[in-house]
Amino acid sequence: MIEINNLVKRYGDKNAVKGISFTVNDGEVLGFLGPNGAGKTTTMNIITGYLSSTSGTVKVNGHDILEEPELAKKEIGYLPENPPLYNDMTVKEYLSFICDLKGVEKERRKNMLDNIVAMVKISDVYNRLIGNLSKGYKQRVGIAQALIGNPSILILDEPTVGLDPNQIIEIRRLIKTLSKNHSIVISSHILSEIQEIADRVVIINHGKIAAVDTISDLSKRLSGQSKILLTFRGPIKDAVTKLRTVKGIAAAVSRVADSRYSQVELTIAANDTTETRIAVFELMAREGWPILEMRSLDPSLEEVFLSITSGKGGVKS
Amino acid sequence: MTAIFKREFLSYFRSPVGYVAIALFSFLSGFVFYTQFATGVVDIAGEVISLRSFFFVIVPIITMGLLSEDKKRGTDVLYYTTPINLFNVIIGKVLAAFCLYVIMFINVIIHIIVTVNCGGVVGVGAIGTIIVFFFMAFMFISIGLFASAITDNQIISAIVSFVLILITQILGTIGDYLGSAFTSMFSGINTKIAGTVGSAISSAINWLDPFVKTQDFRLGIFSVSSLVFLVSVGILFLYLTFRVLDKKRWSQA
Repeated sequence: MIEINNLVKRYGDKNAVKGISFTVNDGEVLGFLGPNGAGKTTTMNIITGYLSSTSGTVKVNGHDILEEPELAKKEIGYLPENPPLYNDMTVKEYLSFICDLKGVEKERRKNMLDNIVAMVKISDVYNRLIGNLSKGYKQRVGIAQALIGNPSILILDEPTVGLDPNQIIEIRRLIKTLSKNHSIVISSHILSEIQEIADRVVIINHGKIAAVDTISDLSKRLSGQSKILLTFRGPIKDAVTKLRTVKGIAAAVSRVADSRYSQVELTIAANDTTETRIAVFELMAREGWPILEMRSLDPSLEEVFLSITSGKGGVKS
Repeated sequence: MTAIFKREFLSYFRSPVGYVAIALFSFLSGFVFYTQFATGVVDIAGEVISLRSFFFVIVPIITMGLLSEDKKRGTDVLYYTTPINLFNVIIGKVLAAFCLYVIMFINVIIHIIVTVNCGGVVGVGAIGTIIVFFFMAFMFISIGLFASAITDNQIISAIVSFVLILITQILGTIGDYLGSAFTSMFSGINTKIAGTVGSAISSAINWLDPFVKTQDFRLGIFSVSSLVFLVSVGILFLYLTFRVLDKKRWSQA
């Protein structure tokens, strides 16, 4: 369990983190969401002891990170955004170096390493130089490093950044496996990723908490208005006026219009969650405008902030 | 501490750095020994003293990456977020560099064996200079480690330690120059006082010169005070290194 109380970090005259408080409960996966530069990494660095806060406290399983750093750090496994790897070491040498750093006893070491290597699936590359591994494997070695010493809490800073889609899926699967035995704090700037993995989500923006919510409440909040992206061939003005008359459509805004091919891209916002795609299709068919693409749009992070900050509750913990 | 020591020491041999340093030292010591050997009079103390004047080349090579590389790779996270403390990290790194020096020094041991076998004499003076050599190595490694802590660029770190060590080597000249400059500048006002202050300045700066301080060892005089001086300066720089690393955490700039 991590208790974060009124954390402030100042850089010069700018506050990177402005009074953040939240709790990570035992056994939960907490998503830490925010756009780039919101203060996610700074907050995670403070929790792990890499940076010190200007004010505020962090308690890890009851141990203050500043007053009892050694006890607190034993409880945490940290994977920073850039995994702390030595390219000139083999995976085996590296992991045993980490065991030394974390003070894992010799008797427990072999067993622990065997388990971790099997769990993160790096046995194929166990004797290879880290410098020669692919980014996905490096990320796994980074996770393996965080798991050494059996910490009860894992802190993962954007673990899927820069990976290809297959690797992303595998890392997510791995995190789900790990969540059975660990509390996990995972940061991301991708909403759908957090929705998939986390139980609860903390959204921060400009160094402040914008919302603390469970995933299901968040989805409810976000489903206020559905949006569609539509690309078709036809006259733009005509289409916009006719679309507005369709039942359930609140607005149709043109995004891109290519006059050469008379190709138009529109975003259509519905009044509420009603399905408007069928009506749109029928209209287009009636008018003889061929649809090139039609899909529903996921809410962007900006829209999430907007919907969260504009009324409807706000911070709830 | 042993973990850091082991990693750093082995990493010298995973990259060219360790081999380059050893090769350079072997070449220099071999050259000095050869020129002595050719004349038929071998003076091990003299050889070791010549080798001291190459600290400014070899120390930057072996210390430049010790901490700067960690910052660049992002592996310094490990020192702050694992239960190990920074003090142990620093000691481990110094020991690694020091042990590389010990290995380089095997060259001189071989020269001693050759000398003795050929009927030469290795006196108390030689033993004294060897002891001082290692104390100096410790001091300069500490300075190099400090230079490595203040930047994440190996080249800058190497240049800083190169300059710092070079300054200690020409400290005597600097002292004499500053002293006489002061004297000539103010002798118009009061010749006597200007002369006294000027010579005080040069002797104060000369007092800091580690090379002058330890020259008595060659004569077989074992002066503990100068060893204490070398160790103190070394520890001072280790402390500064610790402060630089610790500051990173608290920095608000």
